[in-house]
Amino acid sequence: MGQAAWLSKLLRKIRWEMDTFSWSQLIIVLASFTAFLIVPLGLVVVRSFYSSSGGFSFYWLQTILTDPFYFPLRLKLLNQFPFISLEGIRGSLYEVVKYQTAAGEETIVLLTGWDMGVIPNSLVVATFTTLFSTVLGFTLAFVFAKYRFPGSEVLRIVSLIPLLSTPFVGAIGLKKMIVADGVLNVLFYDMLHLLPFKIEITGLPAVILVQTLLFYPIVMLNSYTALISVDPTLEEQAINMGASGFRLFRTVTLPLATPGVEAGALLVFILSLEDLGTPIVFKGTTAEKVLTFQIFNRIFTPAGLISQEATTLAMILLVISGLVFVGVRRYVSLKKYAMLSKGGTWRPRRRKLSPAITLLVYIFILGVLFFATLPHIGVALLAFAKQWGPTLLPSSFTLDNFAAVLSDEEASRCIMNSLIYSTIATLFMIVLGVSAAYLVSRKKSLPGIEALDLLVTIPIAVPGIAVATGLFLTYLGTPLSPTISGAPLLIASYTVRKIPFTVRAVFSGLEQTDKTLDEVAWTVGASRTRTFFSIVMPMILLNVLAGGMLSFIYSMSEVSTGIVVGDANHRDAPMTWKMYDMLFHGLAGGTFQPAALGFLLMTLQFIFIVGANLLLRKRATALIGV
Amino acid sequence: MVSIRTVNLTKVFGEVVAVDHVSLEIKHGEFFTLLGPSGCGKTTFLRTIAGLELADEGSIYFDDQDITDMPAHLRGTGMVFQNYALWPHMNVFDNIAYGLKIRKVPKEEIRRRVKEVLKLVKLEGMENRTPHQLSGGQQQRVALARALVINPRVLLFDEPLSNLDAKLRIEMRAELRRLQRELGITAIYVTHDQEEAMSISDRIAVMNKGRIMQVGTPKEIYKNPRNEFVARFIGQGTFIPGEVVSSGEELEVRLESGKVVKAVPSHPDVRLEVGDKTLIMIRPESFTLEPGKRYNEFEVEVYHISFLGDSQMLQASNEVENFIIEVDPDLDINVGQKLKVYAPPRHTLAVKL
Ligand SMILES: Nc1ncnc2c1ncn2[C@@H]1O[C@H](COP(=O)(O)OP(=O)(O)O)[C@@H](O)[C@H]1O
Ligand SMILES: [Mg+2]
Repeated sequence: MGQAAWLSKLLRKIRWEMDTFSWSQLIIVLASFTAFLIVPLGLVVVRSFYSSSGGFSFYWLQTILTDPFYFPLRLKLLNQFPFISLEGIRGSLYEVVKYQTAAGEETIVLLTGWDMGVIPNSLVVATFTTLFSTVLGFTLAFVFAKYRFPGSEVLRIVSLIPLLSTPFVGAIGLKKMIVADGVLNVLFYDMLHLLPFKIEITGLPAVILVQTLLFYPIVMLNSYTALISVDPTLEEQAINMGASGFRLFRTVTLPLATPGVEAGALLVFILSLEDLGTPIVFKGTTAEKVLTFQIFNRIFTPAGLISQEATTLAMILLVISGLVFVGVRRYVSLKKYAMLSKGGTWRPRRRKLSPAITLLVYIFILGVLFFATLPHIGVALLAFAKQWGPTLLPSSFTLDNFAAVLSDEEASRCIMNSLIYSTIATLFMIVLGVSAAYLVSRKKSLPGIEALDLLVTIPIAVPGIAVATGLFLTYLGTPLSPTISGAPLLIASYTVRKIPFTVRAVFSGLEQTDKTLDEVAWTVGASRTRTFFSIVMPMILLNVLAGGMLSFIYSMSEVSTGIVVGDANHRDAPMTWKMYDMLFHGLAGGTFQPAALGFLLMTLQFIFIVGANLLLRKRATALIGV
Repeated sequence: MVSIRTVNLTKVFGEVVAVDHVSLEIKHGEFFTLLGPSGCGKTTFLRTIAGLELADEGSIYFDDQDITDMPAHLRGTGMVFQNYALWPHMNVFDNIAYGLKIRKVPKEEIRRRVKEVLKLVKLEGMENRTPHQLSGGQQQRVALARALVINPRVLLFDEPLSNLDAKLRIEMRAELRRLQRELGITAIYVTHDQEEAMSISDRIAVMNKGRIMQVGTPKEIYKNPRNEFVARFIGQGTFIPGEVVSSGEELEVRLESGKVVKAVPSHPDVRLEVGDKTLIMIRPESFTLEPGKRYNEFEVEVYHISFLGDSQMLQASNEVENFIIEVDPDLDINVGQKLKVYAPPRHTLAVKL
């Protein structure tokens, strides 16, 4: 076929598939994503290669990679053998501090971790978080998927609780647990005498702990779906052929479940890399020395401009998560996701356990749940605490923290801001998300439609702080500038960052309604536009609603852009910025008031996530998972 | 009511040529059936006519209007899908009235016309049911009513009866035909069930692997199959391979057993020359037990008998070949019995290979 013939055939196909309405859907999606994601991220990359005079240059990249603060590892030659010098690494895994109290000498072991420089720190934290989350998440998923024991369904749902809060809020709660006179030491050292000394977890290890406890459910959900999707007859065949126990697990079960585990693990890696909330809570320790915090900390130069250094760091963060995303891409596309989240069409083979093993399983699960719920319990207790010294529980409870927060003019304005921005963003997300999902679901044969699928799912893997940097680079000094009003950029950022939740819920709804239901409407004379509104929309309304709820609540709890914009413009700041502000610049109330705000957020999040899942019932088990 | 013409209509999915250069002419008011095995491209053909797929090559005409690239909603077709495709969020009335609302028909008239069409499909008083409260047969009727109420230019049926039980299927078959005839709408009907096709159609197009094998009335297709596929796909028969040893008005064919039989070409268009390989086909009812002048004679042993009430079907063989023979139901025959059966040359069809 000649090129001209091929082209005219393609044009005919496009004309056939795309009417005015489809074009407008496509164009609004592309335009919004171009303006608020592609161009900003592109600018992050481009600007990081500007010299101070404006030309192309590696100056900043070179400066950062040679600065021991960011990257202390050096390639050296020893007797002509190249090796990586570890001289730049500072600190030690732990420090022992002894001090006198009225009761005698006390020893505190401070788990601080090494400081390997900002870039290695970020990678190491992400690696350990991923490792721990995967071991924990997969083990839990395996136990729940393969064994039958009383209460397993309830325990499985309870172990998803960490999904109900963001690291920022969770970290506030957990910090109170793991400091020297925190709850865990009170419990295990003072009361139960199980520890020979007090342990304080701080710095990077604390970040890893918080992230592990909050992210393991992502691996768990993905692994669980993969495990229950394994055709039990495959395992039975293997058993018939003589495989058993660990061999069966290693040769059959694990390989079949690997895609799910891998998807979860890679997502955790990216989420850990891009988490800004946890490092902020542990501000003042080595936790500061990660990419996200450093970008956040120096994004504004004293002159009110965007720092080149921060831009280059954002570029590095973007590139790292981009590389990881390539690995995870095939799992997060809408098509794959709809398939995965449908989960087991088989009746999974579940074995009963002997009483002794059951007991062990309970001990393991309850142990995990004890730690996994600590952040949430911590936030709740702090929110209602009047005073809380070195004791297991606050010495007295009060509602004053909430009263204080709600009567604080700035705090209530920030709550209001968050509600308004999130609502508007949700409306945008529904319009854009429904459009994108509809195009991807109904025009599968159109060339290039996979790119749209990718575009609307990729935000899951784009670091929020990089988006924030990009948005500032693009819009500072324009009418959308955050210094004029914080609203436009926050709404835009929420929209592009949290849209995957809406798109996925809608897409899975569309996949569950037969395309012939649209087609029959065309045959009786309804235009595509009319069919979309009178046939398609009513059928997927529940999914739109559920997806919108999720997007709304994840907008409410957005941290990265919120804090950066809030810092630039207090008047228009969202709730998460106010929590940050109260944590570090607040006068009265210490952590109690930010915890009260966090508690409100968590409660809201709980209601919305449970609500969204109830709306869709069993239809989308992994909906809340990222 | 329109006539429909396709010219070299072709639809390709990746590697699969689902519809392969199909040229058909369907007359005003005709009940035209597309018959073929599953996967042969029937649905795709129908969807292309309805405007749900874009043809890769060729054209479609409604009367003289080229509608190849016309969007589905402007074509004025009424389609009944295999799965009925009733909108679950609308009740029966709304499902049927939808097409009328789009046409901005006044409310009163909508009410009247829905009532009429419900009467036509024998679902009076069911307006307020929702689809999931209906049986399969009722859903099917609603789907039909929804297609009929808009006075379509052409009715398209995609295996509409395949999800119904056998008895209902036969009832609905007659019902569909009655409605189509009363309303005088051109209809294209798709099925893989040859008996259904034979009993309902004015004309049938037999389809295989995207291509049209033969077009004709049920009788023509049964009596004069054009090729082996049609001969084997339609009805039952005894098939014996052979080679033409003398040609002319009447052929002589040597079977593999060495026996020579007299036969005629299966279809007027079929030309067979001496030396051509051919397939002899004899329909079960063409056999007789009475020897006739110049009849072909076969000696067989019966190994299975199916009693069908109005006839009995014998399965028999003569070591080399298998026979299906229809005989009088009153005849006393036992398994293992040896028989001489005869077939007149004009019913001994030589099919081109
Ligand atoms: N949307 C599609 N994408 C890819 N292949 C298709 C599609 N629709 C049909 N086909 C293929 O085209 C061929 C004809 O299908 P179809 O028209 O449904 O056959 P029938 O209705 O006769 O059973 C089959 O091989 C089928 O797999
Ligand atoms: Mg079909």
